[in-house]
Amino acid sequence: MDDSVTNSLKMDFISSDALKTKSSIEKISMIVEKVKEGELLVIEGGLEPEEEAELIETTMREIDVENFVGIDIYTLEKDESSFFGLSKKKTVGITIIGPANVMKTVKRKSNFLSMVASLGGSDASMY
Amino acid sequence: MVDIMQRIFRKKFFRDIFNKLIGKDKKLKIGFYGHPNSGKTTLANRMTKDWIGKSLGLVSEIPHETRRVYRQERVTLNYDGVELDFDIIDTPGIATKIDYKNFLQYGLSEQEAKERAKEATKGIIEAIKWLDDVTGVLLVVDATKDPLTQANITIIGNLEARNIPFVIVANKVDLPESNPERILSVFPQHKVVGISALHGENTDELYKAMVEKFS
Repeated sequence: MDDSVTNSLKMDFISSDALKTKSSIEKISMIVEKVKEGELLVIEGGLEPEEEAELIETTMREIDVENFVGIDIYTLEKDESSFFGLSKKKTVGITIIGPANVMKTVKRKSNFLSMVASLGGSDASMY
Repeated sequence: MVDIMQRIFRKKFFRDIFNKLIGKDKKLKIGFYGHPNSGKTTLANRMTKDWIGKSLGLVSEIPHETRRVYRQERVTLNYDGVELDFDIIDTPGIATKIDYKNFLQYGLSEQEAKERAKEATKGIIEAIKWLDDVTGVLLVVDATKDPLTQANITIIGNLEARNIPFVIVANKVDLPESNPERILSVFPQHKVVGISALHGENTDELYKAMVEKFS
């Protein structure tokens, strides 16, 4: 891999429609495969809780102490009206998943997320 | 003596029949879940010391000290005359990443750190698998840290999806930088109890919440 590739970050933006047709296993495999390659994924919507647990489990199986230390996941929520607009509930608007040694959060609020990508083999934080 | 035994036997007999009738014949297994170093094993030790007079597991400042599931069977808690019989399932801390380099700052050699990282990944898998078997959960959150993490969100999401009752334990309230109110504000719809597992502070409130939630 030359320097121009090492110092770049590939980001994929995936619409919820693109994921609708995929099974949970397909979604998780795709996510882990891309993140292992060093890519950052921005997904419209979120994963189901069972899929999140499966994603963590799969990530743990794939961790290789030298090259892949795991993932970081962040979500931004939005209010969604339900029951003819009478009640509101929080749903996931955007999910951001990337390699743990690349993603560094700078600021995080309920409706705002600031992130810096740190390239070049930095360590992952503990939390 | 014989009378007492007969009474206990009779009580147990009727309780068992009652539990079977209402579908509660299954053993109550309370999983201790949360981040590494949130104080799960300290809490498990506090509870087993309080109710059966012995500790359950080793505690250390190095994250991922608990790397396999520990189980303590037959713990009976009593709050205000109400008994709660359960097994403690102390699980390894759940994380989405494990970098062995983080362990080096605690004085571990590179080899030890890598070994710990590998074992920790297996522990997390085991902890997630236990979500299928636990019947109640104490989600232990370090009150000095941001509670809005993916691990906490994933655990809560899975508990809600599986209809598993749970109590959020805001641990380490003895530390000046702790902020249990932040946990309450992030998870307002859930029961949150602030405690210090290390010093036994406010554990009565937790036992009360457990009796209300799990019995």
